[in-house]
Amino acid sequence: MKKRYAFAISLSIMMALSLVVAGAARRGVAASGDKVAAAAIGSTIANFKLSDTSGKEQTLSALKGTNGTVLIFISTQCPVVRDYMERIGKLAADYKERGVNVIGINANASESMDDVKAHIAANNLTFPVMKDKGNKVADQLGAERTPEVFFLDAANKLVYHGRIDNHRNISLVNANDLRDAIDATLAGKPVVKAEASAFGCTIKRAS
Amino acid sequence: MRYSFYLLPGLAMLALSLTPAGQPQHARSASAAAAAAAPLIHRPAATLVAFNPLKGAAQEVVTGKTGQAHKTKKGETATRVAVVREIDLEALKKLLQRGTGTDARPLLVNFWATWCVPCREEFPDLVKINSDYAKRNLEVITISLDDPSEIKTTVPQFLREVRAGNLPAYLLNVIDPDIAINTIDPQWRGALPATFLYDASGQMVFKHTGRFDTRELRAAIDKVTTAR
Repeated sequence: MKKRYAFAISLSIMMALSLVVAGAARRGVAASGDKVAAAAIGSTIANFKLSDTSGKEQTLSALKGTNGTVLIFISTQCPVVRDYMERIGKLAADYKERGVNVIGINANASESMDDVKAHIAANNLTFPVMKDKGNKVADQLGAERTPEVFFLDAANKLVYHGRIDNHRNISLVNANDLRDAIDATLAGKPVVKAEASAFGCTIKRAS
Repeated sequence: MRYSFYLLPGLAMLALSLTPAGQPQHARSASAAAAAAAPLIHRPAATLVAFNPLKGAAQEVVTGKTGQAHKTKKGETATRVAVVREIDLEALKKLLQRGTGTDARPLLVNFWATWCVPCREEFPDLVKINSDYAKRNLEVITISLDDPSEIKTTVPQFLREVRAGNLPAYLLNVIDPDIAINTIDPQWRGALPATFLYDASGQMVFKHTGRFDTRELRAAIDKVTTAR
Protein backbone atom coordinates (compact mmCIF):
# COMPACT_ATOMS: atom_id res chain seq x y z
CA MET A 1 0.00 0.00 0.00
CA LYS A 2 2.85 2.32 0.95
CA LYS A 3 4.50 1.59 -2.37
CA ARG A 4 1.35 2.69 -4.21
CA TYR A 5 1.26 5.96 -2.29
CA ALA A 6 4.96 6.52 -2.96
CA PHE A 7 4.41 5.93 -6.67
CA ALA A 8 1.40 8.27 -6.80
CA ILE A 9 3.19 11.04 -4.90
CA SER A 10 6.32 10.70 -7.02
CA LEU A 11 4.31 10.84 -10.22
CA SER A 12 2.28 13.86 -9.08
CA ILE A 13 5.37 15.83 -8.07
CA MET A 14 7.16 15.09 -11.32
CA MET A 15 4.08 15.95 -13.40
CA ALA A 16 3.68 19.28 -11.62
CA LEU A 17 7.38 20.03 -11.99
CA SER A 18 7.37 19.13 -15.68
CA LEU A 19 4.42 21.44 -16.35
CA VAL A 20 6.16 24.33 -14.60
CA VAL A 21 9.41 23.77 -16.50
CA ALA A 22 7.64 23.37 -19.84
CA GLY A 23 5.63 26.53 -19.26
CA ALA A 24 8.76 28.50 -18.42
CA ALA A 25 10.53 27.21 -21.51
CA ARG A 26 7.69 28.20 -23.79
CA ARG A 27 7.57 31.67 -22.28
CA GLY A 28 11.18 32.06 -23.43
CA VAL A 29 10.27 32.92 -27.02
CA ALA A 30 8.16 35.95 -27.75
CA ALA A 31 6.25 35.10 -30.91
CA SER A 32 4.39 37.65 -32.93
CA GLY A 33 3.22 38.21 -36.46
CA ASP A 34 0.76 36.50 -38.75
CA LYS A 35 1.13 33.09 -37.20
CA VAL A 36 -2.09 31.24 -36.46
CA ALA A 37 -2.48 27.74 -35.10
CA ALA A 38 -2.89 25.21 -37.89
CA ALA A 39 -5.64 22.62 -37.83
CA ALA A 40 -4.32 19.40 -36.36
CA ILE A 41 -3.70 16.36 -38.52
CA GLY A 42 -6.57 13.96 -37.90
CA SER A 43 -9.06 16.65 -36.96
CA THR A 44 -12.33 16.94 -38.85
CA ILE A 45 -12.74 20.24 -40.67
CA ALA A 46 -16.10 21.84 -39.97
CA ASN A 47 -18.19 23.05 -42.88
CA PHE A 48 -17.35 26.58 -44.08
CA LYS A 49 -18.50 29.14 -46.61
CA LEU A 50 -16.61 30.78 -49.47
CA SER A 51 -17.61 33.07 -52.32
CA ASP A 52 -17.28 31.88 -55.90
CA THR A 53 -16.33 34.30 -58.67
CA SER A 54 -19.97 35.17 -59.32
CA GLY A 55 -20.31 36.19 -55.68
CA LYS A 56 -22.45 33.16 -54.87
CA GLU A 57 -21.87 31.48 -51.54
CA GLN A 58 -20.43 27.96 -51.65
CA THR A 59 -19.87 25.51 -48.82
CA LEU A 60 -17.28 22.82 -48.21
CA SER A 61 -20.12 20.29 -48.30
CA ALA A 62 -21.02 21.36 -51.83
CA LEU A 63 -17.42 21.66 -53.08
CA LYS A 64 -15.93 18.48 -51.61
CA GLY A 65 -14.97 15.48 -53.68
CA THR A 66 -16.45 12.04 -53.17
CA ASN A 67 -13.10 10.62 -52.10
CA GLY A 68 -11.31 13.71 -50.86
CA THR A 69 -10.76 17.46 -51.18
CA VAL A 70 -7.58 19.42 -51.79
CA LEU A 71 -7.80 22.98 -50.47
CA ILE A 72 -4.96 25.13 -51.81
CA PHE A 73 -4.45 28.71 -50.65
CA ILE A 74 -3.20 30.66 -53.64
CA SER A 75 -2.48 34.23 -54.63
CA THR A 76 -2.68 36.18 -57.85
CA GLN A 77 0.62 37.93 -57.12
CA CYS A 78 2.91 35.48 -55.33
CA PRO A 79 5.75 34.34 -57.63
CA VAL A 80 5.93 30.98 -55.85
CA VAL A 81 2.25 30.35 -56.62
CA ARG A 82 2.90 31.40 -60.21
CA ASP A 83 5.52 28.65 -60.50
CA TYR A 84 3.03 26.10 -59.20
CA MET A 85 -0.08 27.00 -61.24
CA GLU A 86 0.57 24.49 -64.00
CA ARG A 87 1.28 21.75 -61.46
CA ILE A 88 -1.92 22.52 -59.56
CA GLY A 89 -3.94 22.42 -62.79
CA LYS A 90 -2.47 19.03 -63.69
CA LEU A 91 -3.11 17.74 -60.19
CA ALA A 92 -6.78 18.80 -60.43
CA ALA A 93 -7.17 17.08 -63.81
CA ASP A 94 -5.36 13.90 -62.71
CA TYR A 95 -7.49 13.31 -59.63
CA LYS A 96 -10.91 14.60 -60.72
CA GLU A 97 -11.96 11.24 -62.16
CA ARG A 98 -10.81 9.55 -58.96
CA GLY A 99 -13.22 11.62 -56.89
CA VAL A 100 -10.80 14.18 -55.47
CA ASN A 101 -11.71 17.83 -56.00
CA VAL A 102 -9.13 20.61 -55.99
CA ILE A 103 -10.36 23.96 -54.67
CA GLY A 104 -8.24 27.11 -54.90
CA ILE A 105 -8.78 29.62 -52.10
CA ASN A 106 -7.71 33.24 -52.28
CA ALA A 107 -7.63 34.75 -48.78
CA ASN A 108 -5.48 37.78 -49.57
CA ALA A 109 -7.27 40.96 -48.54
CA SER A 110 -5.02 42.81 -50.98
CA GLU A 111 -6.42 40.88 -53.98
CA SER A 112 -9.97 41.60 -55.19
CA MET A 113 -12.51 39.32 -56.80
CA ASP A 114 -11.68 40.99 -60.13
CA ASP A 115 -8.03 40.08 -59.57
CA VAL A 116 -9.09 36.48 -58.95
CA LYS A 117 -11.19 36.39 -62.12
CA ALA A 118 -8.33 37.84 -64.19
CA HIS A 119 -5.92 35.30 -62.66
CA ILE A 120 -8.25 32.40 -63.55
CA ALA A 121 -8.57 33.64 -67.12
CA ALA A 122 -4.85 34.32 -67.56
CA ASN A 123 -3.92 30.84 -66.33
CA ASN A 124 -6.84 28.98 -67.99
CA LEU A 125 -7.67 27.41 -64.66
CA THR A 126 -10.07 24.49 -64.84
CA PHE A 127 -10.54 24.08 -61.08
CA PRO A 128 -12.72 26.43 -59.00
CA VAL A 129 -11.12 29.31 -57.11
CA MET A 130 -13.01 30.81 -54.20
CA LYS A 131 -12.60 34.08 -52.38
CA ASP A 132 -12.19 33.84 -48.61
CA LYS A 133 -13.55 37.21 -47.52
CA GLY A 134 -12.17 38.31 -44.18
CA ASN A 135 -9.82 35.28 -44.30
CA LYS A 136 -12.27 33.33 -42.13
CA VAL A 137 -11.42 29.97 -43.66
CA ALA A 138 -7.69 30.76 -43.54
CA ASP A 139 -8.14 31.44 -39.82
CA GLN A 140 -10.20 28.27 -39.33
CA LEU A 141 -7.55 26.10 -40.96
CA GLY A 142 -4.56 28.11 -39.76
CA ALA A 143 -3.26 28.84 -43.26
CA GLU A 144 -0.47 31.39 -43.29
CA ARG A 145 1.22 31.28 -46.67
CA THR A 146 0.67 30.66 -50.38
CA PRO A 147 0.78 28.07 -51.71
CA GLU A 148 -0.36 26.02 -48.73
CA VAL A 149 -2.34 22.79 -48.97
CA PHE A 150 -4.89 21.11 -46.72
CA PHE A 151 -5.96 17.68 -47.97
CA LEU A 152 -9.13 16.24 -46.47
CA ASP A 153 -10.29 12.67 -46.86
CA ALA A 154 -13.85 11.69 -47.81
CA ALA A 155 -15.03 12.39 -44.26
CA ASN A 156 -13.36 15.86 -44.19
CA LYS A 157 -10.64 14.66 -41.87
CA LEU A 158 -7.34 16.50 -42.37
CA VAL A 159 -4.79 13.92 -43.50
CA TYR A 160 -2.10 16.14 -45.05
CA HIS A 161 -1.01 19.75 -44.55
CA GLY A 162 1.77 21.74 -46.12
CA ARG A 163 3.52 21.96 -49.43
CA ILE A 164 2.70 20.57 -52.86
CA ASP A 165 6.20 19.20 -53.36
CA ASN A 166 9.73 20.03 -52.29
CA HIS A 167 10.76 22.63 -54.87
CA ARG A 168 9.27 25.48 -56.88
CA ASN A 169 11.69 24.61 -59.67
CA ILE A 170 9.98 21.54 -61.15
CA SER A 171 13.27 20.10 -62.41
CA LEU A 172 14.44 19.77 -58.77
CA VAL A 173 11.35 18.01 -57.42
CA ASN A 174 12.16 14.73 -55.71
CA ALA A 175 9.33 14.59 -53.16
CA ASN A 176 5.70 14.73 -54.30
CA ASP A 177 4.27 14.99 -50.81
CA LEU A 178 0.72 15.98 -51.78
CA ARG A 179 0.34 13.33 -54.49
CA ASP A 180 1.78 10.72 -52.13
CA ALA A 181 -0.79 11.71 -49.50
CA ILE A 182 -3.69 11.55 -51.97
CA ASP A 183 -2.55 8.21 -53.40
CA ALA A 184 -2.18 6.71 -49.92
CA THR A 185 -5.62 7.93 -48.87
CA LEU A 186 -7.29 6.63 -52.03
CA ALA A 187 -5.61 3.27 -51.41
CA GLY A 188 -6.92 3.21 -47.86
CA LYS A 189 -3.45 3.54 -46.39
CA PRO A 190 -2.18 6.02 -43.79
CA VAL A 191 -0.27 9.06 -45.03
CA VAL A 192 3.40 8.53 -44.22
CA LYS A 193 4.43 12.19 -44.23
CA ALA A 194 1.42 14.17 -43.02
CA GLU A 195 3.15 17.57 -42.83
CA ALA A 196 5.89 19.24 -44.85
CA SER A 197 6.84 22.90 -45.17
CA ALA A 198 8.17 25.07 -47.96
CA PHE A 199 8.92 28.73 -48.42
CA GLY A 200 6.10 30.91 -49.69
CA CYS A 201 4.36 34.27 -49.49
CA THR A 202 2.48 35.32 -46.37
CA ILE A 203 -1.31 35.55 -46.68
CA LYS A 204 -2.20 39.22 -46.51
CA ARG A 205 -4.94 39.14 -43.91
CA ALA A 206 -7.67 41.74 -43.45
CA SER A 207 -6.62 44.10 -40.65
CA MET B 1 17.34 2.27 -4.67
CA ARG B 2 14.04 0.45 -4.54
CA TYR B 3 12.23 3.75 -5.04
CA SER B 4 14.02 4.40 -8.30
CA PHE B 5 11.39 2.35 -10.10
CA TYR B 6 8.69 4.75 -8.92
CA LEU B 7 10.68 7.79 -9.96
CA LEU B 8 11.32 6.66 -13.53
CA PRO B 9 7.97 7.68 -15.09
CA GLY B 10 8.18 11.10 -13.51
CA LEU B 11 11.77 11.63 -14.60
CA ALA B 12 10.84 10.68 -18.14
CA MET B 13 8.10 13.29 -18.16
CA LEU B 14 10.50 15.86 -16.76
CA ALA B 15 13.01 15.09 -19.50
CA LEU B 16 10.31 15.52 -22.13
CA SER B 17 9.32 18.87 -20.68
CA LEU B 18 12.89 20.11 -20.99
CA THR B 19 12.79 20.15 -24.78
CA PRO B 20 13.55 23.70 -25.97
CA ALA B 21 10.83 26.24 -26.54
CA GLY B 22 9.41 26.14 -30.01
CA GLN B 23 9.40 22.38 -30.34
CA PRO B 24 6.45 20.97 -32.31
CA GLN B 25 3.26 20.25 -30.46
CA HIS B 26 2.16 17.83 -33.14
CA ALA B 27 3.54 14.92 -35.07
CA ARG B 28 6.34 15.64 -37.51
CA SER B 29 8.38 13.55 -39.86
CA ALA B 30 11.34 11.75 -38.37
CA SER B 31 13.80 13.81 -40.39
CA ALA B 32 12.18 17.04 -39.31
CA ALA B 33 12.17 15.98 -35.68
CA ALA B 34 15.81 15.03 -35.90
CA ALA B 35 16.69 18.32 -37.50
CA ALA B 36 14.88 20.17 -34.76
CA ALA B 37 16.39 18.21 -31.94
CA ALA B 38 19.16 20.65 -31.06
CA PRO B 39 18.40 24.24 -32.02
CA LEU B 40 20.64 25.49 -29.21
CA ILE B 41 24.23 24.89 -30.20
CA HIS B 42 27.33 26.03 -28.38
CA ARG B 43 30.83 26.39 -29.62
CA PRO B 44 33.77 28.55 -28.61
CA ALA B 45 33.39 32.18 -29.58
CA ALA B 46 36.86 32.21 -31.06
CA THR B 47 35.87 29.80 -33.79
CA LEU B 48 32.99 32.04 -34.74
CA VAL B 49 35.37 34.57 -36.17
CA ALA B 50 37.21 32.02 -38.21
CA PHE B 51 34.10 30.32 -39.55
CA ASN B 52 33.69 30.47 -43.28
CA PRO B 53 30.29 29.28 -44.51
CA LEU B 54 31.61 29.31 -48.04
CA LYS B 55 34.00 26.50 -47.34
CA GLY B 56 33.21 23.56 -49.57
CA ALA B 57 30.89 24.95 -52.01
CA ALA B 58 29.68 28.15 -51.93
CA GLN B 59 29.54 30.89 -54.35
CA GLU B 60 30.45 34.44 -53.55
CA VAL B 61 29.50 37.49 -55.48
CA VAL B 62 30.95 40.87 -54.79
CA THR B 63 29.37 43.89 -56.35
CA GLY B 64 30.88 47.32 -56.52
CA LYS B 65 34.53 48.02 -55.83
CA THR B 66 35.90 46.07 -52.89
CA GLY B 67 37.19 48.19 -50.10
CA GLN B 68 35.79 51.46 -51.36
CA ALA B 69 33.56 53.46 -49.13
CA HIS B 70 30.78 55.92 -49.72
CA LYS B 71 28.65 58.27 -47.69
CA THR B 72 25.13 57.19 -46.81
CA LYS B 73 22.27 59.67 -46.65
CA LYS B 74 22.94 60.33 -42.97
CA GLY B 75 26.64 60.78 -43.54
CA GLU B 76 27.60 57.39 -42.12
CA THR B 77 30.43 55.63 -43.80
CA ALA B 78 29.53 52.31 -45.30
CA THR B 79 31.35 50.01 -47.62
CA ARG B 80 29.86 49.79 -51.08
CA VAL B 81 30.41 46.06 -51.20
CA ALA B 82 27.34 43.82 -51.29
CA VAL B 83 28.46 40.25 -50.78
CA VAL B 84 25.97 37.43 -51.27
CA ARG B 85 27.19 34.04 -50.18
CA GLU B 86 25.45 30.85 -51.16
CA ILE B 87 24.97 28.47 -48.23
CA ASP B 88 23.64 24.97 -47.74
CA LEU B 89 21.92 23.44 -44.72
CA GLU B 90 25.15 22.71 -42.85
CA ALA B 91 26.42 26.25 -43.36
CA LEU B 92 23.05 27.56 -42.14
CA LYS B 93 23.38 25.56 -38.93
CA LYS B 94 26.90 26.92 -38.37
CA LEU B 95 25.70 30.47 -38.91
CA LEU B 96 23.23 30.06 -36.08
CA GLN B 97 25.82 28.85 -33.61
CA ARG B 98 26.70 31.22 -30.80
CA GLY B 99 29.84 31.27 -28.72
CA THR B 100 30.07 30.42 -25.07
CA GLY B 101 32.57 33.07 -24.05
CA THR B 102 31.99 36.60 -22.83
CA ASP B 103 32.35 37.94 -26.37
CA ALA B 104 29.43 35.85 -27.68
CA ARG B 105 26.95 38.04 -29.52
CA PRO B 106 23.16 38.04 -29.89
CA LEU B 107 22.03 37.26 -33.43
CA LEU B 108 19.20 38.63 -35.55
CA VAL B 109 18.33 36.54 -38.62
CA ASN B 110 15.98 37.71 -41.35
CA PHE B 111 14.70 35.34 -44.06
CA TRP B 112 13.56 37.17 -47.16
CA ALA B 113 13.36 37.17 -50.95
CA THR B 114 13.36 39.87 -53.60
CA TRP B 115 9.99 38.57 -54.84
CA CYS B 116 8.42 39.07 -51.42
CA VAL B 117 6.85 42.52 -51.12
CA PRO B 118 6.75 42.79 -47.29
CA CYS B 119 10.36 41.57 -47.23
CA ARG B 120 11.40 44.44 -49.47
CA GLU B 121 9.34 46.89 -47.44
CA GLU B 122 10.93 45.98 -44.11
CA PHE B 123 14.51 45.72 -45.38
CA PRO B 124 15.44 49.41 -44.86
CA ASP B 125 14.44 49.02 -41.20
CA LEU B 126 16.74 46.04 -40.98
CA VAL B 127 19.62 48.08 -42.40
CA LYS B 128 18.92 50.79 -39.84
CA ILE B 129 18.77 48.29 -36.97
CA ASN B 130 22.10 46.84 -38.07
CA SER B 131 23.62 50.30 -38.04
CA ASP B 132 22.03 51.40 -34.76
CA TYR B 133 22.90 48.25 -32.82
CA ALA B 134 26.43 47.71 -34.11
CA LYS B 135 27.77 49.31 -30.94
CA ARG B 136 25.52 47.13 -28.82
CA ASN B 137 27.19 43.99 -30.08
CA LEU B 138 24.29 42.69 -32.18
CA GLU B 139 25.08 40.50 -35.18
CA VAL B 140 22.55 40.82 -38.01
CA ILE B 141 22.43 38.48 -41.00
CA THR B 142 20.01 38.16 -43.89
CA ILE B 143 19.23 34.93 -45.71
CA SER B 144 17.66 35.16 -49.14
CA LEU B 145 15.39 32.45 -50.51
CA ASP B 146 15.70 33.68 -54.05
CA ASP B 147 16.59 31.29 -56.81
CA PRO B 148 20.37 30.63 -56.80
CA SER B 149 20.48 31.83 -60.41
CA GLU B 150 19.75 35.32 -59.08
CA ILE B 151 22.74 35.49 -56.75
CA LYS B 152 24.64 37.63 -59.23
CA THR B 153 21.74 39.79 -60.35
CA THR B 154 18.50 40.52 -58.51
CA VAL B 155 19.69 39.90 -54.95
CA PRO B 156 22.84 42.10 -54.91
CA GLN B 157 21.01 44.72 -56.97
CA PHE B 158 18.34 45.02 -54.32
CA LEU B 159 20.89 45.07 -51.51
CA ARG B 160 22.70 47.88 -53.25
CA GLU B 161 19.44 49.80 -53.67
CA VAL B 162 18.72 49.66 -49.94
CA ARG B 163 22.36 50.37 -49.01
CA ALA B 164 22.78 47.04 -47.29
CA GLY B 165 26.47 46.68 -48.12
CA ASN B 166 27.37 46.27 -44.45
CA LEU B 167 24.77 43.61 -43.82
CA PRO B 168 26.06 40.04 -44.15
CA ALA B 169 23.93 38.49 -46.90
CA TYR B 170 23.46 34.81 -47.67
CA LEU B 171 21.37 32.85 -50.13
CA LEU B 172 20.10 29.50 -48.93
CA ASN B 173 20.17 26.79 -51.57
CA VAL B 174 18.52 23.58 -50.38
CA ILE B 175 16.65 20.88 -52.26
CA ASP B 176 14.33 20.16 -49.33
CA PRO B 177 13.28 23.34 -47.51
CA ASP B 178 11.30 21.38 -44.90
CA ILE B 179 14.49 20.34 -43.12
CA ALA B 180 15.88 23.88 -43.17
CA ILE B 181 12.62 25.36 -41.90
CA ASN B 182 12.46 22.85 -39.04
CA THR B 183 16.08 23.49 -38.19
CA ILE B 184 15.24 27.14 -37.58
CA ASP B 185 11.90 26.65 -35.86
CA PRO B 186 9.58 23.62 -36.06
CA GLN B 187 6.62 25.95 -35.64
CA TRP B 188 7.60 28.06 -38.63
CA ARG B 189 5.95 26.89 -41.84
CA GLY B 190 8.06 28.84 -44.31
CA ALA B 191 6.07 32.04 -44.75
CA LEU B 192 8.23 35.03 -45.66
CA PRO B 193 9.47 37.32 -44.32
CA ALA B 194 10.48 35.67 -41.06
CA THR B 195 12.70 37.15 -38.38
CA PHE B 196 14.35 35.35 -35.47
CA LEU B 197 16.34 36.79 -32.58
CA TYR B 198 18.76 34.71 -30.50
CA ASP B 199 20.46 35.81 -27.32
CA ALA B 200 24.22 35.42 -26.87
CA SER B 201 23.79 31.87 -25.60
CA GLY B 202 21.99 30.85 -28.79
CA GLN B 203 18.52 30.67 -27.27
CA MET B 204 15.76 31.96 -29.54
CA VAL B 205 14.03 34.81 -27.70
CA PHE B 206 11.85 36.40 -30.39
CA LYS B 207 10.31 35.35 -33.68
CA HIS B 208 8.02 36.97 -36.17
CA THR B 209 6.50 35.92 -39.48
CA GLY B 210 5.26 38.60 -41.84
CA ARG B 211 6.49 42.19 -41.84
CA PHE B 212 7.93 42.98 -38.44
CA ASP B 213 6.96 45.92 -36.27
CA THR B 214 10.16 47.91 -35.84
CA ARG B 215 9.34 49.09 -32.32
CA GLU B 216 8.46 45.58 -31.19
CA LEU B 217 11.64 44.15 -32.69
CA ARG B 218 13.85 46.87 -31.22
CA ALA B 219 12.31 46.30 -27.78
CA ALA B 220 13.22 42.62 -28.05
CA ILE B 221 16.76 43.47 -29.18
CA ASP B 222 17.18 45.92 -26.31
CA LYS B 223 16.60 43.09 -23.87
CA VAL B 224 19.47 40.98 -25.18
CA THR B 225 22.04 43.60 -26.10
CA THR B 226 24.27 45.80 -24.03
CA ALA B 227 26.37 48.81 -24.93
CA ARG B 228 30.05 48.03 -25.44
